[in-house]
Amino acid sequence: FTEMPTDNFVESSFWNFDALFQPQQHPARDQHDTFFLLDPAEAPQLPPGYSSKVKKVHSQGGYGSQGYRYEWKVEEAKKNLLRTHTTSASARALFQLARQEKFSPVKYFSIDRVFRNESLDATHLAEFHQVEGLVADRGLTLGHLMGILRQFFSKLGISQLRFKPAYNPYTEPSMEVFSYHEGLKKWVEVGNSGVFRP
Amino acid sequence: DEEFDELCFEFGLELDEITSEKDIISKEKGEEKAKGASDVVLYKIDVPANRYDLLCLEGLVRGLQVFKERINLPRYEKIIPAEGEGQRLIITEQTAQVRPHAVAAVLRNITFTKDRYDSFIDLQEKLHQNICRKRALVAIGTHDLDTITGPFTYTAKAPSEIKFKPLNQSQEYTASQIMDLYRTDSHLRHYLHLIENKPRYPVIYDSNGVVLSMPPIINGDHTKITLNTRNVFIECTGTDITKAKIVLDIIVTMFSEYCEKPFTVEAVEVVYPNGKTHIYPELAYRTEKVKPEYINKKVGISETPSSLAKLLTRMCLKSHVTGNGNHLEVEIPPTRADIIHACDIVEDAAIAYGYNNIQMLIPKTYTIANQLPLNKLAELLRLDLAAAGFTEALTFALCSQEDIADKLRTDISATNAVRIANPKTAEFQVARTTLLPGLLKTIAANRKMPLPLKLFEISDIVVKDPNTDVGARNYRHLCAIYYNKSPGFEIIHGLLDRVMQVLEVPPNEGNGYTIKAAEGTAFFPGRCAEVFAKGQSIGKLGVVHPDVITKFELTMPCSVLEINIEPFV
Repeated sequence: FTEMPTDNFVESSFWNFDALFQPQQHPARDQHDTFFLLDPAEAPQLPPGYSSKVKKVHSQGGYGSQGYRYEWKVEEAKKNLLRTHTTSASARALFQLARQEKFSPVKYFSIDRVFRNESLDATHLAEFHQVEGLVADRGLTLGHLMGILRQFFSKLGISQLRFKPAYNPYTEPSMEVFSYHEGLKKWVEVGNSGVFRP
Repeated sequence: DEEFDELCFEFGLELDEITSEKDIISKEKGEEKAKGASDVVLYKIDVPANRYDLLCLEGLVRGLQVFKERINLPRYEKIIPAEGEGQRLIITEQTAQVRPHAVAAVLRNITFTKDRYDSFIDLQEKLHQNICRKRALVAIGTHDLDTITGPFTYTAKAPSEIKFKPLNQSQEYTASQIMDLYRTDSHLRHYLHLIENKPRYPVIYDSNGVVLSMPPIINGDHTKITLNTRNVFIECTGTDITKAKIVLDIIVTMFSEYCEKPFTVEAVEVVYPNGKTHIYPELAYRTEKVKPEYINKKVGISETPSSLAKLLTRMCLKSHVTGNGNHLEVEIPPTRADIIHACDIVEDAAIAYGYNNIQMLIPKTYTIANQLPLNKLAELLRLDLAAAGFTEALTFALCSQEDIADKLRTDISATNAVRIANPKTAEFQVARTTLLPGLLKTIAANRKMPLPLKLFEISDIVVKDPNTDVGARNYRHLCAIYYNKSPGFEIIHGLLDRVMQVLEVPPNEGNGYTIKAAEGTAFFPGRCAEVFAKGQSIGKLGVVHPDVITKFELTMPCSVLEINIEPFV
């Protein structure tokens, strides 16, 4: 797995949400969960051709999808924030990959800091680290995803795994990964995953 | 209980808690208050955010029963009344300014019980919170049709012109009085701002001038639904027409079960300001054609087309095989507004198959792994700094404004910092532009540890940068601090020399590094130097100013080095 560049804490809503098909009215984009920036408040530029494609998919659909059918506003996309997940870096990496002349399969990973506007308590921090990995190739299936996850977790010493259907705006199918915790004697969520939407 | 847990897990729901009303009250208010409360077992279930059809008991049970193949998926029918007999909702142009869209439907001959009534109200609230985004996008109003006469008019009027008796109140109020009345109501005050400052407020009248509701705030008392209500008029108004249609579809499909003719909904004609009319609810059944091999390929299973059709039908997506066996026609009911692409159908097929039944494989992708050069450099430096006797610290990237400005004897405008608009506490006002405050706070929290304290951190700082596409960027900094009874400038200087040595940067002016005496606001005058390398200034080192030390609640001298390591990648 090759490491992705993630050294930008400040991200635009475009890369953090819109390019990942998260609708502009989604609750996670609320003041409560995301750190929005006062200064610089807006991203000066968005990739022009790509942003019009994203606008179309949100408002009308595309690539086989019905879309969300709402009015997509570019001002919302320009709002700067502290990234809420490293998937925004993955989106940038995939964008670069798409612009390559010839497609080459890749495996990317990153481990870096993310920010969520939460009150601090025993199980929540406002900034924490996320481990993210992705594989891009032809002919990948959900079974492959589960296989990689099982290998990954077994290297961490976690071998009892169960997968549960979940929902992410940008992946379908999505799975939450659960592992049995001997100490707590129950299944706890150890990860989230999915196949990116076309 | 366990069986239900398994079922939920398979279906994609999370069984959060098994509790009872008694338990809930015990936890919140203490055992005394809980005496006499119900002991009936309650399940708290977490529903995914995009499944509006599972938000009420009716929908949830229906979905699970179809999943278990106990019942067949009901067919929701729209009944269009004969000409002149149906209800009409006329929208006037004044609403365009404040809340332009409206849709409506009628549930005929419905029978309510206490439980069904509670569930009905509950679903409206849940939809309000979820897809309606706290009533901002869509607001739902339900009315007893027998208390009013159509056709109904949806218009917008100045607040002083609207007067009616709001739900559960004893007298009539004007709209402006209503705003004041509910300003302190814990439930409704959050919605007042949606229309408060507009010149006209939305309002729905019947043909006799009776007010049905003033969306999105409150319904009229006149049309209040009781357990004896037989015919319900439902209206959804809002700023997003797609969501309004979805909301209407969900409510009518869920509760049409209790109509005399189950699963039927009476349509309402909506007349637009330009004269065009539209029949609601849409209750559209959409057909998508999917190839069975597409589903098999994406999931990694190999099921026959007919078994795939069965799996999808179990997920409320009625399907059958067409063509010469290599096509699936999938019918998407109005309850599944979350299906917007073939991949959503694929997920449902996988859920019906059972995620944990899918065979796990490793992709055959061959790639060569690479570490990002900047991270590799940081990792190597971390090892060397630790070897030099320093302990690594990991601190927060967000801090208060004072931390990077006042406490370091500098002005906030000189720092070029990125500022947060909505911090929950003052501790997270800005993104750090230097690693120094984090380390000083770490020392302050560890005063009891034996001296000397030698800490370092190699991490990102954030500054504004107009040249990037977002307007800010990160720099990878290295910061080391020595805290002891004597400042130890020579130790920090030695550390710098060691870092340069492992980076193979020679100590000379040309292609190497040098230090020159300089002034730094956070440093002791005359005991500060600037580090130059590769033709640019990369940081400072020196003895920390006593004022800074005191502001961070420390008592001993210390010296610090902070440099940007990116030029060395």
